[in-house]
Amino acid sequence: MSLKKYDGLQSEIYVPITPQPVWAPVTKKLKDMKIGIATAAGVHLKSDKRFNLAGDTTYREIPWDTKAEDLMVSHGGYDNSDVNKDINCMFPIDRLRELADEGFIKGLAPTEYGFMGGGGDIEAFTDKTGPEIAKKLKAEDVDAVIMTAG
Amino acid sequence: MQRAIESVGIPTILIAALPPVVRQSGSPRATAPRVPMGANAGEPHNVEMQHGIVKDTLKQLEILDSPGKIVPLPYEYIAKV
Repeated sequence: MSLKKYDGLQSEIYVPITPQPVWAPVTKKLKDMKIGIATAAGVHLKSDKRFNLAGDTTYREIPWDTKAEDLMVSHGGYDNSDVNKDINCMFPIDRLRELADEGFIKGLAPTEYGFMGGGGDIEAFTDKTGPEIAKKLKAEDVDAVIMTAG
Repeated sequence: MQRAIESVGIPTILIAALPPVVRQSGSPRATAPRVPMGANAGEPHNVEMQHGIVKDTLKQLEILDSPGKIVPLPYEYIAKV
């Protein structure tokens, strides 16, 4: 059976485009890596400024040795009930410290990062917030980053 | 965000609760345990599950060799809503 072909035919349905891949190769073993955390879950120090739930492209820095009970979430985009019970649900800092103690990884990055994902001003995240956090991670010689989002 | 960090040469891996969204946004590396959004790293206070999810996710840094893969993880947490 032969099918009719129409040049330039397009779907009427909006089809989102997946961006070009990005890829930074892994060059070290896990046991030699300093691992950072970056989360879109709106995690920050209780003493820090909350995120604006209506939309916020700022980020908060979290020192690696922060106690779990000194952290909280402000994020309007998902059910916070699990993360309010245990911050490690979205920000597994205690788990990462255990893995460092085990020798599975070398250690944590000196600073971890929390921001409020789930949409908002994507352009600001792409052009400003993302590159700023990336630059700081680079300056602190972080070897890899584990993230929670989506 | 993940892409921005990756762009400066730091490898990243993301724990996803919503793999289709993560695929669409062009995540270079991800894992997907069976968890609800808001508990990506596992059930609250379930240290064993969280430990497993985080450890298995990090292991994929040494395993994955091309972008765009989302690796399912054998952990399940169903939140009682």
